[in-house]
Amino acid sequence: MAAGKPSAVDERRAQFARYKQDVKARGKSFYPFAMFEDTVMSLVVVTVIVALAAVWKWTAWAPHHLGTHQGLLGPEYTAPADPGTTNFVPRPDWYFYFLFYLLRIFKWPETVFLGTVGVPTIALILLIALPFYDVRRERRLSRRPVAVVGLVLTILSMAILTWKGATASEALASEVIADVPNWISAEKLPPAAVPGAKLFAVAGCTACHTYLGTGSSNLGAPDLTTIGTRNLGIAFQIRHLQCPSCVNPGSPMPKFASLGTTRLHELAVFLEASKGKK
Amino acid sequence: MSTRRRQPSRMQQAVDFPLDWLEERSGLVGGVKYFLFRKVPADTNWMQTLGSATLTAFLVQTVTGVILAMYYQPTPNDAYASIVNITDHVTLGWLVRGMHKWGASVFIILMFLHMGRVFLFGAYKYPRELNWVLGVLLLVMGMAEGFTGYLLPWDQTAYWASVVGINLNGTAPFLGPWLAQFLRGGQDIGAETLARFYSLHMLVIPGAIFALIGLHLYLVIRLGVTSPPWSKEAAGADRADEPSQLREGLTRPAARGAGESE
Amino acid sequence: MNPDEMPDEPHLPSPSIWPIGFAIGIAVLLVGLIIDPLWISTIGGLIAVVFGVLWARDATSELRGKPVAIEPERRQAAPAGEDAPLQELSAERYPRSKFLEGTTLGLGAVIGGIITVPVAGFAVLPGFVGQKQHKVDLGPVSDFADGQWYIATFMLDPSEGEVSRRTTFIRNNGPLTVKGKQVPSFTIISNHCVHLGCPVQANGPSGAILGLKTLTETGKNGKVTLTPTVPAGFGCPCHGGQYDTEGNRTAGPPVRALDRYEYEIDNGRIVLLSTYSVAHVDGTGAQAKIQKYKPVGPGEHIDGIEQIFYPLNPPHH
Repeated sequence: MAAGKPSAVDERRAQFARYKQDVKARGKSFYPFAMFEDTVMSLVVVTVIVALAAVWKWTAWAPHHLGTHQGLLGPEYTAPADPGTTNFVPRPDWYFYFLFYLLRIFKWPETVFLGTVGVPTIALILLIALPFYDVRRERRLSRRPVAVVGLVLTILSMAILTWKGATASEALASEVIADVPNWISAEKLPPAAVPGAKLFAVAGCTACHTYLGTGSSNLGAPDLTTIGTRNLGIAFQIRHLQCPSCVNPGSPMPKFASLGTTRLHELAVFLEASKGKK
Repeated sequence: MSTRRRQPSRMQQAVDFPLDWLEERSGLVGGVKYFLFRKVPADTNWMQTLGSATLTAFLVQTVTGVILAMYYQPTPNDAYASIVNITDHVTLGWLVRGMHKWGASVFIILMFLHMGRVFLFGAYKYPRELNWVLGVLLLVMGMAEGFTGYLLPWDQTAYWASVVGINLNGTAPFLGPWLAQFLRGGQDIGAETLARFYSLHMLVIPGAIFALIGLHLYLVIRLGVTSPPWSKEAAGADRADEPSQLREGLTRPAARGAGESE
Repeated sequence: MNPDEMPDEPHLPSPSIWPIGFAIGIAVLLVGLIIDPLWISTIGGLIAVVFGVLWARDATSELRGKPVAIEPERRQAAPAGEDAPLQELSAERYPRSKFLEGTTLGLGAVIGGIITVPVAGFAVLPGFVGQKQHKVDLGPVSDFADGQWYIATFMLDPSEGEVSRRTTFIRNNGPLTVKGKQVPSFTIISNHCVHLGCPVQANGPSGAILGLKTLTETGKNGKVTLTPTVPAGFGCPCHGGQYDTEGNRTAGPPVRALDRYEYEIDNGRIVLLSTYSVAHVDGTGAQAKIQKYKPVGPGEHIDGIEQIFYPLNPPHH
């Protein structure tokens, strides 16, 4: 070792020995100098926790004395667990939103296990093994471009996944009904079309059709935002809803005759009034 | 020099005696003194308080969790009612449950921030690789606490998040279906699932976290705290004017176990 | 190195391959308890006993005075003149320290085994053995109108309470002629998404909006409700899985068709039995050709190349 350039292993050992020397010679005592800052930070943490608990309680409970009321920070609790639910939309806690959205990205059956265990496992292995593949001594950020880019990409992708997970929604009756006021204002729907609009939202039409961007086009059914411009007539709309395949042979749309003529009429009025954004 | 100075005061004696007694029989006082008065680099900054802040958040979780366990009932028919009782009826129950619920989020955020700090500082590099690994394991355990704790209120969000979480494990190739059934304690989520999540949440995983925190802190104390990499006076920085003999002298590794004896 | 210290050097038992076989035997035995206690457990037990005996023989060979075959102790070679007599000495008289090391390690392993085996078994096995099979009475066949879908909710086991509540989609396919006799035919689809188990919803109006009555019946299986619905298919609220009315995947991540329930008609009442998994359904209603498989968990492929990832499944009912 006496001759020639020292190896990387020797260099890092030397650096750590220098570190020990420097700390001994120029360091400060942990107590009270560093511990003071630690204590202040811990006080901040405890205060934040208590404040969150207080805001949560007083915005969720105080207005109605109802634990399921949505306060600033969410309800105290949601409805009791119902394993037989027919309308609940499950969502995880916020810190699993990234994983939740990852699962929505892998929407091909062959790739399911990539989203569930594949990607998370690879990410975890990369994370654990970090000190074993990044073995350079360099600690200054300006000289660790790969690390900086990796960090920025990780933070960006986690932030985007979390955001997308937080705002993800499905075209289900319980969620679509909230869009009805937007439809009324965007399409200037007359009051007579409003009951039909509500029916359209809760009757599951958006499972196959889209309306002003709400709904699913997965099954290839047409967009109905401007269906009224075709002026098919209320009588035709009712007949079509009663038995789509009778009017339009080969149509895969199910029959909605059981809704009854009153409701079908409301739906038809709504569809005829839908003449696009005004 | 007065006699008062040479003879410790009564007060001082009253403090010293039990400490000396304890030190003579356990060495604990010396240990604590070593911990408190060890040297850290002079240029440490506020970002380096995130680790101890995480520990504080975990201690909040421990204390509030222990108290919650006195009121909570881990059976499907009673769990929800006991959560309603804790949150709305038991005196200050809302505060303890609120601190536990929000402390969990704070704990997870702090773990990520602390990890980000270590990454920025390059503090996971030699000789602190093992402490990084311990930290990642702590992160995994913390997330597991979040997952198992989320089921306990037994409300709709809790139940269905756990259904998905368990089935996620179930899709792992080969052993996944077995792991999922083990977590459920049967083929369906039921009383067994809630009881075992409760046990994992308050006994198994916290035990592992305490052990890992112990090792994590031991390595922090043994290996020391890093200086910020941009610091002009960073401890251990390369010295341009260093004589080559000193360099060579330093490259020889210390004998095993002698690392602390400099 | 001072040769006098040598007998006190830590000494580990020489390497042996028998413990691996022993462990495999125990593993086979435990797996057998779940799958087939009679045969697989017996084979596992035999493997464990044989390897256990061989291991014990191996571990005690030094005690029984047999020469040890493998002894690659990593010691620095002492000067030859001093070393030779010492090795002879330790070969003819077994040192007390080695005996204590061996017994301490061995006893420790025994204690560990006594504690770990039953505890691990207690933690793991009950989830796999003795899983109950349920029968659910959904009421008279006459409650179900021909061709109409119903959302049925019921309890698998009322003694467990709400936690056993389940939901299915049921359609009366009308009478089917089997061997000249008319028998009722039903399509009964589970509402658990085969992606990750979320509660699938009917894509269509249901209940009062249809002007049809929701039937409620309280029987052996708690409150059973039958809500009429007109689904264009079924949709999952979590990750966007979509199914047609036979349960075939039409979009999104589901890996197979929706699970179904077996059923029987008992005294004119429809009784649900266990579930089964479905790869694909061709045709509809009573004429449907169902590719039926043993029940597996959500997210598991049962056909195609991906099924090799899930070769062995825990028992289900």
